[in-house]
Amino acid sequence: MGSTSKQKSSDSGGMLQFLIKYNTIFIFVVLVIFSAFISDVFFTSVNLSNLLKQVSGIGIISIGMLIVILTGGIDLSVGSLVALLAVAFALLVNIFALPLAILMTIAIGFAIGSVSGYLVAYQKMAPFIATLAMMTIARGMGFIYSKGSPVTFKTYGGLYMSNFANNSTLGIPNIAIVFFIIVLLAMIMLRYNVFGRIIIAIGSNEEASRLSGIKVNKYKFLVYAISGALAAIAAIIVAARTNLGSPNMGMAWELDAIAAVVIGGASLNGGRGTAINTLMGVLILGLISNILNLLNVPSYPQQVVKGGIIIFAVLLQRFENK
Amino acid sequence: MTGISKSFGIVSVLEDVNLKVKHGEIHALLGENGAGKSTLIKILSGVHQKDAGQIVLNGEVINPENTHDGQLLGIKVVYQELSLVNDLSVAENIYLHKLGASKFWMNWKEINKDAQILIDSLGFDIDPTTRVRDLSIVKKQVVEIAKALSEDPKILVLDEPTTVFDPSDTQKLFDNLFQLKAKGISIIYISHHLEEIFKIADTVTVLRDGVDTGSMPVKDINSDDIIKLMIGRELKDLYPERNLKVGSLPVFEVKNLTAKNTLVHDVSFAVRAGEVLGIAGLGGSGRTETAKLIFGAHQKKSGKIFLNGAEIITKSPVDAVGYKIGLVSEDRKEEGVFLPLSIQKNISVTNFKAISERFGFINKEKENSNVQSLIKKLNIRTPSAATPVKNLSGGNQQKVALAKWLSIDSKVILIDEPTRGVDVGAKVEIYHLINEVAEKGVGVIVISSDMPEIMGIADRILVMYEGTIYGELSKEQFSEENILRYAIGKPLKK
Repeated sequence: MGSTSKQKSSDSGGMLQFLIKYNTIFIFVVLVIFSAFISDVFFTSVNLSNLLKQVSGIGIISIGMLIVILTGGIDLSVGSLVALLAVAFALLVNIFALPLAILMTIAIGFAIGSVSGYLVAYQKMAPFIATLAMMTIARGMGFIYSKGSPVTFKTYGGLYMSNFANNSTLGIPNIAIVFFIIVLLAMIMLRYNVFGRIIIAIGSNEEASRLSGIKVNKYKFLVYAISGALAAIAAIIVAARTNLGSPNMGMAWELDAIAAVVIGGASLNGGRGTAINTLMGVLILGLISNILNLLNVPSYPQQVVKGGIIIFAVLLQRFENK
Repeated sequence: MTGISKSFGIVSVLEDVNLKVKHGEIHALLGENGAGKSTLIKILSGVHQKDAGQIVLNGEVINPENTHDGQLLGIKVVYQELSLVNDLSVAENIYLHKLGASKFWMNWKEINKDAQILIDSLGFDIDPTTRVRDLSIVKKQVVEIAKALSEDPKILVLDEPTTVFDPSDTQKLFDNLFQLKAKGISIIYISHHLEEIFKIADTVTVLRDGVDTGSMPVKDINSDDIIKLMIGRELKDLYPERNLKVGSLPVFEVKNLTAKNTLVHDVSFAVRAGEVLGIAGLGGSGRTETAKLIFGAHQKKSGKIFLNGAEIITKSPVDAVGYKIGLVSEDRKEEGVFLPLSIQKNISVTNFKAISERFGFINKEKENSNVQSLIKKLNIRTPSAATPVKNLSGGNQQKVALAKWLSIDSKVILIDEPTRGVDVGAKVEIYHLINEVAEKGVGVIVISSDMPEIMGIADRILVMYEGTIYGELSKEQFSEENILRYAIGKPLKK
């Protein structure tokens, strides 16, 4: 963003300006400090690694949600996709070798995402409607293929995967490493690659993009397919953590993902948002649950607090836009 | 209205403007496009709010905050762009304002009868029960005027009401205006046709670049004086000297182009290297649709397009851009630029092939040098390339819209309304730019409803009427009258 952003913060000089500009990071830091004060357990490695494990699944689908939202769309199907694909992975890993099962699951995720993408990009269906339909279809299929009950891992491949998912490398949970790598890739693609430029252009003005010779439909199609593939990776991770795939997994995760993206300052109209801020959004949501759990707050009041934080974060961003 | 000032963002549109209209007079408001006439009227009627100044109606200070206020005060405007609801009948349109009024049920019989009386009194023949969609543009304009009169205005503002009228219609309108004037209604009349002003107006006020140059009685002034007041400088300063080195071979040619879903049909023309070809015509004549058809944004039914003698097929803008054809859209904000994005991102959007390397990774150095050289070349006034386009003035935004096509070395550029909403200074720069681009051998097609503009920059003008090219004017034949005659489907006068 170069010289203007620097110029702005030094011109107005105020601390307040700085806070408004980096409000997501600000909220995150405040929450961390607050948590550390309020609970002795918070800064233990067990708690922190639990926190990271808990957010990794939702975090990965949030990145998919971000790129869909950047084009001005929305993907409501990802939570149900996690359920269907967790079941699919559990069934596949019991039949095929682990790498093959992983690849097949990601391919299925990409394919189902492609259906949403096709409906939105080429059939001009409203993203909300197309992915709402895919949401019920995926959830239903999850129940059909699992016959309504969880599918447990039975082979060596499955055990290997759950071992990986529950262990850490250099103190960082392996699944969090997967999540961070995906965030990093998204950051690189959005900042330095034509792909990111194009989806941001589409989100900020679709008609101008079309009249600039951009293949708008192709990219709109692609973002939903990628979102589906990322839902598959999230599904494999959550299934591996518990050693099974259940059709009840990922319930309402699409809403948490949208919340994370929005807390991260993205605009639901498209064209604005970054991977690093979405990461912050994911961590903020995770932190709130974590600290409330440590304080033994029951889950219903937790939901109220979560909603309040979302409203607060978005109100802060309104200052930024002025 | 005294001391009226208004600016949009950093662009000042009106500065300390005075306009005094007496009871029962016809007051002509003149000025070039962009001089601020429309903005002044929109402030009077409540569409825009003034930044400074005072509006006094019959001795009372008024402050219309929205169009509803304006209507209650008896200020009624007939805009250039028609504001009728296409799917309602003529009578329903005329009495649309009553739909929100006290009565719950509408008495359609009575309304149809009233509408008939009103239209008859104007001297035109229109059935009040026809749907507006099925009317010709001339009749639509009549309905628009009838609609304004149905509200018993105290002040009636007419913005270029006669563009679509032939002389006999115009005369009918003038007769009506004289009757209204006799009833004590004040009329503000905006027109580019000076001869009309001398026929009907009592007083004239000329605006130039947002400043009024004073008011005077029409009988004390002649048309040369008015032109001098309007332009304020010699025309040759505004438009660049055309250094005609037109090649003999066409760079670009279309034959019998017909659209699938628009009115455009049988359009044929050729542009030679180094030539600026103008396309004129009234709104709705198919100018913009022709450009979009060539560019692949609209579907083609039949016809052929040739680039340097070889046939090309443009099924979508992707194809057109691939052949290095560029389109600067008339609707800058909706179709031309990405307002929230930086200048850099706006300019690079057509040019990813040149600035990216393997796997689509962007080479920042290449991008920066390309963008910087264009900012310099087009004299885009901005603190940096990272500034969002929404923070720029209209003129600089338009330069960004042009820059994205220069960055890919387009062979043909279609420019639809090159200077809409652009201040005079930037206008001159854009005209010179168009000139330069043409001199480099690019085929330039300029579409404009601004007649002085198109005559100033084009070498040849095609005039469209009802979806096809009705006539062609060579440089010696350029005149507002000739363009208008073709634009309403009439042959030139001998």
